[in-house]
Amino acid sequence: MMADKGIKRSSMDNESSSDPKRAKTDAKYNKYLAHYDDNDAQNGNGFSSPLDQLQRHKTTAEQAAKCEDSDLNPWTGQPHSQQYFNILQTRRNLPVCQQRKEFLEMYHKTQILVFVGETGSGKTTQIPQYVLYDELPHQTGKLIACTQPRRVAAMSVAQRVANELDVELGQEVGYSIRFENKTGPKTMLKYMTDGQLLRESMHDHEMSRYSTIILDEAHERTLATDILMALLKQIAERRKDLKIIVMSATLDAQKFQTYFFGAPLLAVPGRTHPVEIFYTPEPERDYVEAAVRTVLQIHATEPEGDVLLFLTGEEEIEDACRRINLEVDDMIQESDAGPMRVYPLYGTLPPAQQQRIFDKAPEPLRKGGRPGRKCIVATNIAETSLTIDGIVYVVDPGFSKQKIYNPRSRVESLLVSPISKASAQQRAGRAGRTRPGKCFRLYTEKAFKKELIEQTYPEILRSNLANTVLELKKLGVEDLVHFDLMDPPAPETMMRALEELNYLACLDDDGELTELGSRASEFPLDPALAVMLISSPEFYCSNEILSITSLLSVPSIWVRPNNARKRADEMKQQFAHPDGDHLTLLNAYHAFKGAEQSGADVKQWCHEHFLSPRHLMSADNVRAQLKRIMETHDIELISTPFQDKNYYTNIRRALLAGFFMQIAMRESSNSKVYKTVKDDQLVMIHPSTVITSPYDWVVYNEFVLTTKQYVRTVTNIRPEWLLEIAPVYYDLEAFDKGEIKSALTRITDKIRRRQAMKGGA
Amino acid sequence: MDPPTKAQPQSNDSDSEDDYMKMTFTDDPSSLTSTSRPSQPETSLQRRQRERREAEARSRVKSKAELAAEVEARREAAHATSLLTLASSSSSKPKSKGFAMMAKMGFTGGALGTAAKEGVKDDRVVEPIRIAVKDGREGIGLESERKRKLHEAAKTAGEATKRARVDEGEYRERMRREREEARLERQVSAAQKVAEGMDDERTERDAADEGREEREEKRREARKGRGISSRPLKSLPVVYRGLVKAREEAERDRRMRHDLEQSLSRLPTYEDDDEDDDDKQAMGKPQTQSTTYVTADDLDDEDVELNEFNALPMAERLQRLVEYLRADHHYCFWCKFVYPDAEMDGCPGLTEEDHD
Repeated sequence: MMADKGIKRSSMDNESSSDPKRAKTDAKYNKYLAHYDDNDAQNGNGFSSPLDQLQRHKTTAEQAAKCEDSDLNPWTGQPHSQQYFNILQTRRNLPVCQQRKEFLEMYHKTQILVFVGETGSGKTTQIPQYVLYDELPHQTGKLIACTQPRRVAAMSVAQRVANELDVELGQEVGYSIRFENKTGPKTMLKYMTDGQLLRESMHDHEMSRYSTIILDEAHERTLATDILMALLKQIAERRKDLKIIVMSATLDAQKFQTYFFGAPLLAVPGRTHPVEIFYTPEPERDYVEAAVRTVLQIHATEPEGDVLLFLTGEEEIEDACRRINLEVDDMIQESDAGPMRVYPLYGTLPPAQQQRIFDKAPEPLRKGGRPGRKCIVATNIAETSLTIDGIVYVVDPGFSKQKIYNPRSRVESLLVSPISKASAQQRAGRAGRTRPGKCFRLYTEKAFKKELIEQTYPEILRSNLANTVLELKKLGVEDLVHFDLMDPPAPETMMRALEELNYLACLDDDGELTELGSRASEFPLDPALAVMLISSPEFYCSNEILSITSLLSVPSIWVRPNNARKRADEMKQQFAHPDGDHLTLLNAYHAFKGAEQSGADVKQWCHEHFLSPRHLMSADNVRAQLKRIMETHDIELISTPFQDKNYYTNIRRALLAGFFMQIAMRESSNSKVYKTVKDDQLVMIHPSTVITSPYDWVVYNEFVLTTKQYVRTVTNIRPEWLLEIAPVYYDLEAFDKGEIKSALTRITDKIRRRQAMKGGA
Repeated sequence: MDPPTKAQPQSNDSDSEDDYMKMTFTDDPSSLTSTSRPSQPETSLQRRQRERREAEARSRVKSKAELAAEVEARREAAHATSLLTLASSSSSKPKSKGFAMMAKMGFTGGALGTAAKEGVKDDRVVEPIRIAVKDGREGIGLESERKRKLHEAAKTAGEATKRARVDEGEYRERMRREREEARLERQVSAAQKVAEGMDDERTERDAADEGREEREEKRREARKGRGISSRPLKSLPVVYRGLVKAREEAERDRRMRHDLEQSLSRLPTYEDDDEDDDDKQAMGKPQTQSTTYVTADDLDDEDVELNEFNALPMAERLQRLVEYLRADHHYCFWCKFVYPDAEMDGCPGLTEEDHD
């Protein structure tokens, strides 16, 4: 195009000057800018903008920077706010900004790019914007997607980037997470969870809405990111116009390069300082105790600087915080130590409390006194995803909680396990963000070398794949066996998933998606929940099952603070249904809705009843979303009248339509031990249950292995329902010999006798 | 019909009650009746008794520890059995549909996915990740050993019939180790000979200052010393004392054997009580027991220093010898060269690798 040269020259001429007004005079040769001087411009945005000088996939760093510097927002035509320029200044200081030119040059040349930058380099916020100025979505109408493993990250980063671009969140920049979509017709840059992009692609196999897909935090290797990578690898061959950026925070990016046909790599050097690493001479008898001791020792002997301690879970973290606080009080009184503020940090902590970790360290107690410091006691969420400045000391006991699914027993465990070497290095790196730091590893150097695995297992190796297999089938992946995943799962895991989907009638015997399976995949739910929901009208209780499904899809609504356990249990008892926890959840939800409708202060009401308003409201939101999906698929919403004696019975039966594979039978008449059907594992009912009677047969929502084996969220059922609702799974011919088979055989005989008697009468 | 239940396996047999429980509830119902009248069905009285006892066994509340052990054992047992072997085994049970579907997609065993390119390490998994339950707050390094053993026990119990395949890699590693050890041993004895030879030479050189005759005699003596010497073993440096000792022992054995072969029937020192003096004379034996074997005085003595030296690993012994030769003779075992001074200028270093 002739105009191209003109544009280029004009921008070159302007290099020396940052005044955007000068551009006007030079740019008048450009026919696209014919209306530049008039404010009612005719281009795509309805206003003239310095962007009009840019050409797609030719933008240089200078050009883009100039657009950013202009008085008017190039994307909206509105004047930039003062805050915008303040933020711009800090953005320009980010390490990644130094490499904007290099990035763009590489981006222009290649289809797939691997980008490595440590947490805090600014890659998550900046790279998508650099792409934005190069892809010019307002011309193409195609979006830029940036995936995040976590919902919270997707939301908060989108907000941040909206501020940086001086636009309203949900307009030009938006986010999309499960059960929440904040995007609009103007949206050009979309932050989303990796799972969300995966769900979207079920209806758009080519991902044709997007011109660029950025997979952020790929090093975390979430299940969805792994699947997306495999899909994108295929799509990239078909759609040469699609650009892909894989971003990782760790330097083991070579694996990504190899996987993506030897894609080029760009690394932003981190702004890190050296970290000195200390090991213990002997293995520790009690790592929590050792951790607390180490923190106190740091506080007593080390110079100023904040402490980050990694522990595994809420209970442990709260315990450690309490102990540190107590000891520090003593230290202040006895040895004139400085003040120390201790903050817990874990996933289920309310967001407001999570924010407190960014508070400044406390001032010295008196002028000239010893400096104060803060101590953050966190799970491994502080390992890569979060940047906390000021950390100089890291205490690493070497453990984290990991979810591991085993297809042989179908146990999903959440177990405290040793971290990987890569994780340990990440943790140590946290100490060197502001100045040279120290990392105290509470294990021996030999243990580090011998006992820690190299890399953390990616999620795909640790998960039940029923949902993934269903999604892949919907995505049109026929050959699951040779699907080119970066780390293919164990064959047995795949086999179990196929088998479970077959029992749920989502796949037929040939492995083809059934009508039910196709519908189930429309719901952002596990297959068992989806099938239960779809089948619920047959049991005349789809409204109630919808509520229960929503409640099971959010974190626990029950609040049980340590200092008020008894009160909390008493309150829960008000909602208790003798037949089980599913029904109790439903009662609590109904009471919540009742309180809401009566105009009561919902927060206050929840507080009094030891319920989490946050999770109840999010369940409410989930319910609304699921209801919409049900309506589009013509799934009837019906209820049995509450006065009907079968109201609860119907619900209990409906549970089995999805959860007939999660049944346990009591071992013997006065035992508390149950045995899971087919897998023959011994379990107890989780102490959180409301059930008091010793029922012989129960359905459970989840099987958890922590230090004991529990089934959680449990409801009483009748075994004859199993034979009726899931005859294929309960085909007694296929059962292993044992107590469960004998019990079921007795029941079959009984039913047969009863029918014979009826027939005879 | 089958008896409805059988007793739970008990984890401890110390209780006195366990006896009757073990005896009664076997898988085979005939064992119960066989003691009385094999062909007869059990009487109602017997049945009631049996049912009562079974109920008791079932109703006996297990202790927490027992329960935990059983839970764990059962989990480990499940985790030690591959679903693929279950699916492909020719049991009467219908085969897994999941397995059939995978077979249809072309699964023939091994890992999923596509094979890695050549030269790239294939790290695809074939088995699910093992679950290791950690209870308590022991730090890394304390627990692992115990857990590993437990898992292995469950696995061997599960696969008792299957022969454990000998790991090819492990076998190779062992062979390599053995060969390396043998090579070192040869080098040690070579170095010992060198050391002894050099020490002897030095003794001769020292003797050169004295008269020629004496030197001749010394040499003879030294040569004789090669056979059996009367100098105490402990005066020799420990590094090659073992060599000398072994040689002397061999020499003694050789002489004894020789004497035995030369004598008419028995070892000359043998004392036969039936023989009187005349017999002895007739057999050509001296009246008194004068035949003794002159060996190093302390050949049979306990040599602590030598035992300690021999307990060292082969590589360490070799190292000690190399050092001895360097210090005492400025001789490098690897260069095979005697250097003029202690600087040993020109020798690349102490180890064999240095000389590569």
